Amino acid sequence: MKPAAIADVTANSFDSPADRGAPGSSRLVSLWTVYALTLRQHLHGKRWMVIAGMCVLCAGLVAVVRATAPDVPSVELEFDIAFMFIPQAILPLLALIYASGLVRDEQEEQTLTYLLIRPIPKWALYSLKLFATLTTAVLLVVMLTLLTYVAIYAGGGTSFREVAPRVLRAASIHSLAVVTYCCLFGLISLLTKRTLVVGILYVALFEGLLANLPFSIRLATVVYYTRLIAYRTLTFLVPLPIDPSRFNDLAAEVWQFDVKTDPGLVDHPQLHTCLIVLLAACAISTLLAAILFSQREFHVKTPEKS
Amino acid sequence: MTETSDSKPIVEFHGVSKWYGNVIGINKLTLRVPAGVTGLLGPNGAGKSTFLQLATGQLFASQGQVRVLGQSVWNNSTINRQIGLCPEQDAFYEWMTGWDFVYTSARLAGLNRPAAKDAAARTIEAVGMTRHQGRAVRGYSKGMRQRTKLAQALVHDPRVLFLDEPLTGTDPVARHDLMTIIQRLGSEGKSVVVSSHVLHEVQSLTPNIILLNHGRLVAEGNVRDIRDLIDKHPHQIVLISDEYRKLAGRILEWDDVEGVRILSREQGLMVETRQPDAFYSRLPALSLEDGLAIKEVYSDDDSLESVFKYLVNR
Repeated sequence: MKPAAIADVTANSFDSPADRGAPGSSRLVSLWTVYALTLRQHLHGKRWMVIAGMCVLCAGLVAVVRATAPDVPSVELEFDIAFMFIPQAILPLLALIYASGLVRDEQEEQTLTYLLIRPIPKWALYSLKLFATLTTAVLLVVMLTLLTYVAIYAGGGTSFREVAPRVLRAASIHSLAVVTYCCLFGLISLLTKRTLVVGILYVALFEGLLANLPFSIRLATVVYYTRLIAYRTLTFLVPLPIDPSRFNDLAAEVWQFDVKTDPGLVDHPQLHTCLIVLLAACAISTLLAAILFSQREFHVKTPEKS
Repeated sequence: MTETSDSKPIVEFHGVSKWYGNVIGINKLTLRVPAGVTGLLGPNGAGKSTFLQLATGQLFASQGQVRVLGQSVWNNSTINRQIGLCPEQDAFYEWMTGWDFVYTSARLAGLNRPAAKDAAARTIEAVGMTRHQGRAVRGYSKGMRQRTKLAQALVHDPRVLFLDEPLTGTDPVARHDLMTIIQRLGSEGKSVVVSSHVLHEVQSLTPNIILLNHGRLVAEGNVRDIRDLIDKHPHQIVLISDEYRKLAGRILEWDDVEGVRILSREQGLMVETRQPDAFYSRLPALSLEDGLAIKEVYSDDDSLESVFKYLVNR
């Protein structure tokens, strides 16, 4: 036995290239497997119960309103549930539930090691996991929106032709919002260990409080852009109780868009600008998160240390 | 490793330190691990897992350079095609079956469907899990879980294998089987780095060892020299069995056993012996005796710790 000694270590002393893959191996297969594995993880989680509860809650709320106030116009009900309650409460919570566990779950369950030791760049690993999470979230949101619209319009006398485009637009807006929230919360989950607390505070203060203030600060919220997209693609006109021939623009009133002095909302971003802003927010937060993830160490607690 | 100093190293650490805040995991470590089977030995907290996490690119060295097969490992995913890791933590996608877990590992390594199926079947067979491959991992015994972890490390046919305490908590039969598999991998030309805090385990696998303690390289070389030191200290081995009292009676009949202490709470016993090799070699047969099934064997490393203290302070 010789004592510890400084060895003469020479760089690149191994001349067989280490990037020889096994026969029939490809990086695309690895990436697809990460995506599929993450989808399967989402299916096996207990989050389903919470999400199912959210779906039932929305449809249940509609049923309660229908039972207690049968005269409420369907459009008003649609506005209150699909464009007030869902974007401001359900979508951020759904995104928070899924995106907060994007990396943290695997880290806590110590299965992240099995992904980190594969021939997959870390940035791609994060991006694929996020993409699978977005797929799950969007599918859930589409189902949630459909269910809510069925509860609102079923048996109300409104034709399917009339409702179908509204459902399609609502599902698209909700999907875009949940994608943006997922990307943001994915980034937050890498910045803090208390993702749920920070996420809930963000939803309450930022998206809840600031988005409802009629100042420029609301331009920094997701809710503002989703509302603007909804306003520019859908109408929420409700007949006035005193004069049913005249209509009240519910969205403009509640969302504090000054349509009297600015009927075309030219002072507000146009539809394509809203889309670009939200997609840019997704892209930037994903890029930052992917960089953070690729530079981060994920130290595994060994049994002796834990 | 004087006998292999000419060969190209598989793993190279050059002045490597790793700190976790104020805690030192690895301290200015310089060494070269040659091809073949190498034992990474040290008591709990010696830095073995940190060493393996640095070597597999999971951790970034606070100082120094880590190279595997001549390449830097940090953020170098390409090298992972050539590396297999059997981690210490008992973590799985519990909802998967054993087959699914190994097959998914093959796919994560980039194997296409037919290749992944072949590789998973071959590897599961190699670790003796074919009969149980359809069951969910959550229902596996410790030994089955260790075998399955080993299978996922082997499934993409890596050139270098890092096994972190692969024998911990296994029953004597699984322990024997796993050791046979590791020896076979070595004879097939794979380079294997096996960490353990039990000298006996490592000695059965390879004469080449690296001794770590408190993140430092204490010694490297032939295991026989270490054994001379360790045999001066009684070796403590814990056996867990439902029939631990009956087992104690049988074990006390052996001449090389110096003492047996009953551990009622753990339903086991702690055996003291100065001839651990002879003791371990008789365990599989004893475990197969009627009603004496030994569920778990592990070595209390207090005795090993004293040897490390001796090595460090001499």
